Amino acid sequence: MLRVSSLAAALVLAVAGAGLFAGGQPEKAAVNGPVTIQVFYPVAVDAPIAQILNGYVTAFEKANPNITVKPVFSGGYNDVKTAIQTTIQGGGKPPALAVMLATDLYDLINAGYIEPLDSYLGKMPDKSGYLSDFYPTFMSNSEFDGKIWSIPFQRSLVVMYYNKDLFKSEGLGAPDSWQALAQDAQKLTVRNGSDVSRWGILWSSVGLPYWLFQPLAIGAGKNIVGNSDTEVYFNTPQNIDAINYYISLSEKYHATPAGAQDTWGASPGDLTSGRAAMIVHSTGSLAGIMKQAKFDVGVMGIPGKTPGTYASVPGGGNLYIMKDAPQDQKDAAFKFIQFLTQPDRVADFSIQTGYIAARKSAYDAQAMKDYLTKVPQAAETRDVLQYAGKEMSVQDLAKVRNIFQDYLLQAFNMKMSASEAMQKAQTEADAALKAFK
Amino acid sequence: MESRQKPAAAVLPYLLIFPTLFFVSVFTIWPTLSSLVGSFFIQRLNMAKYRHPVFGGLGNYSNLLGDPTFYQVLQNTALYVLISVPVSIILGFLFALLINRKMRGIGLARLALFHPTVLPMVSVATVWLFLYTPDYGLFNQAIRFLGYRGAQNWTGNPDMALLAIIIVAVWKNAGYYMIFYLAGMQSLPREVYEAARLDGAGPVTTVMRITLPLLRRTTLFVTTIAFIGAFQTVDHVFVLTSGGPSNASNVLLYYLWQIRFENLDVGEASALTVILIAVLLFFTVTNFLMSEREERADV
Repeated sequence: MLRVSSLAAALVLAVAGAGLFAGGQPEKAAVNGPVTIQVFYPVAVDAPIAQILNGYVTAFEKANPNITVKPVFSGGYNDVKTAIQTTIQGGGKPPALAVMLATDLYDLINAGYIEPLDSYLGKMPDKSGYLSDFYPTFMSNSEFDGKIWSIPFQRSLVVMYYNKDLFKSEGLGAPDSWQALAQDAQKLTVRNGSDVSRWGILWSSVGLPYWLFQPLAIGAGKNIVGNSDTEVYFNTPQNIDAINYYISLSEKYHATPAGAQDTWGASPGDLTSGRAAMIVHSTGSLAGIMKQAKFDVGVMGIPGKTPGTYASVPGGGNLYIMKDAPQDQKDAAFKFIQFLTQPDRVADFSIQTGYIAARKSAYDAQAMKDYLTKVPQAAETRDVLQYAGKEMSVQDLAKVRNIFQDYLLQAFNMKMSASEAMQKAQTEADAALKAFK
Repeated sequence: MESRQKPAAAVLPYLLIFPTLFFVSVFTIWPTLSSLVGSFFIQRLNMAKYRHPVFGGLGNYSNLLGDPTFYQVLQNTALYVLISVPVSIILGFLFALLINRKMRGIGLARLALFHPTVLPMVSVATVWLFLYTPDYGLFNQAIRFLGYRGAQNWTGNPDMALLAIIIVAVWKNAGYYMIFYLAGMQSLPREVYEAARLDGAGPVTTVMRITLPLLRRTTLFVTTIAFIGAFQTVDHVFVLTSGGPSNASNVLLYYLWQIRFENLDVGEASALTVILIAVLLFFTVTNFLMSEREERADV
């Protein structure tokens, strides 16, 4: 019975899917005829993304009566990528437009799924002005082989949130170095006997640990990735230094729980309820934290090793045009990209979702100015941008990233020394990347 | 007239099994065969050179066999199956014994033990993510109350992560197996128990000598579905640990998903699929042969 019903469900899905994709085909290849495009879109944060995007679609269709946009919300980033993959592998037509992770660039190019945007950008009256208005940090995962492959859209950063009231009552200023951060975290940790009622800092290391860790490597002086798509720098003294610093927060300063911790989901709540004085998290949690916190919230970059330096990495998704979609759909898709990335709309999207506006001019919009006066923390998140290095993105990304994370956690869990773990990670990653040189 | 009816009679059975045959062919046999064929080809969607399959002989298999992670995953899978299956079956049996009686509020007890079965695994795992939260998570609070003072980062500690997903699987499945045992117990003849009681058999003897042997078929059935289910359900791994830390809780099907949809290595994923099918086939055939023997013994 179970098998029959699941088969039936699969059939229904298949039929519905076929109908859906049929709906995406152009009726006629007429130059200016009506055209319908699909946009595959992930919902990765706690915001009414679907509602917001549907609003933009309605406005776009009003301005472009011959184009119909059908947003398809299909889970998280992985689900969108999987849906597109299975569609193309199964011989179907992909949607014209999709929002996927900025770091998926090489995988998407190698698979032949996406198309460079240069020919579309070339037709814009002010191409260079348009491109240079995006923050370079967010563009760092868009360029490859001298071409532009994606446009930044829903972007975030790793930041540190801290309880300013607690810092004030302890007579502390915001930490400006590794050492200050560790000492502050130690002072702010409260113990009752063997129990801890407040941790100085919570820094999640389960799930996608590379992301929250990268600011430490950058803060030590050397990022784990560079400009090359086939080089990683895991076994550098700086990176090993960074790992040992993370371990020292629990082993030496006793300011965070020992070993790898999955505090991603719980730490925003721990900060707002006073169970943690500082947390390292995504800018995407700003709205939720602001809503819950009864104290003055501070937002800053992760302090670096050298006093006065800070670090961060970007995250989030970009807009990609799918190569195998019909040309008239791709033209329409680029029009929609331009529409979505107009400064006023970028500002509105940032205000409504908590994502960081990817364009500089969005911060000149009146709505954004009003918002920043009301929520100064949002301006603090933008200020972290200047410290951000490149998010890990190389060929064979998933494999290389898993190698790094597996050994990183071996070190965090004290199963290997940091240098031994990183030697092994480097050797395995080099072996995986060799095939792509 | 007679010669006309014969072929019609011969067609009907085929017509009747056609839907099943069709679906089994399309959704079971065809994917199996295409995995087998695919396992001999190198196909990596994230490499322009291997975007389309290129014949690679046994390359995918030798890659897997040379990969230490593969052995760790095999070991994890064996541990996961060999612990979670017997423990949840034994618990299911004990639960069934416990609630197979008439008393006030027994409906509530049955509901409490059965409700994890009704929940989707993803929701169960999400709930457990909160239960496992260090310090104030309900599970950690409960075991602290019982005197536990060890590490509390269940999903981040390499020595606890696999146990963490086993606990969730047992919690979810024990109630399901309980239902089969309960149904079995309620259909057992009353006279046997009466006779045992008159002979002065205690409750332990009754269970060991009467209930368990009489429920042998139920046990066989439950064992089969439990084994297959243990290989097939990995939703909680996705939610709780993503196979981590450092592959400490990675199991066969999750590893397969990682290779196919994260690493985009279609060839190696096909090889792993073939291995998974072989393992499942081994279990199913062994179980089938055992049940055949039991049937014969019954006669």
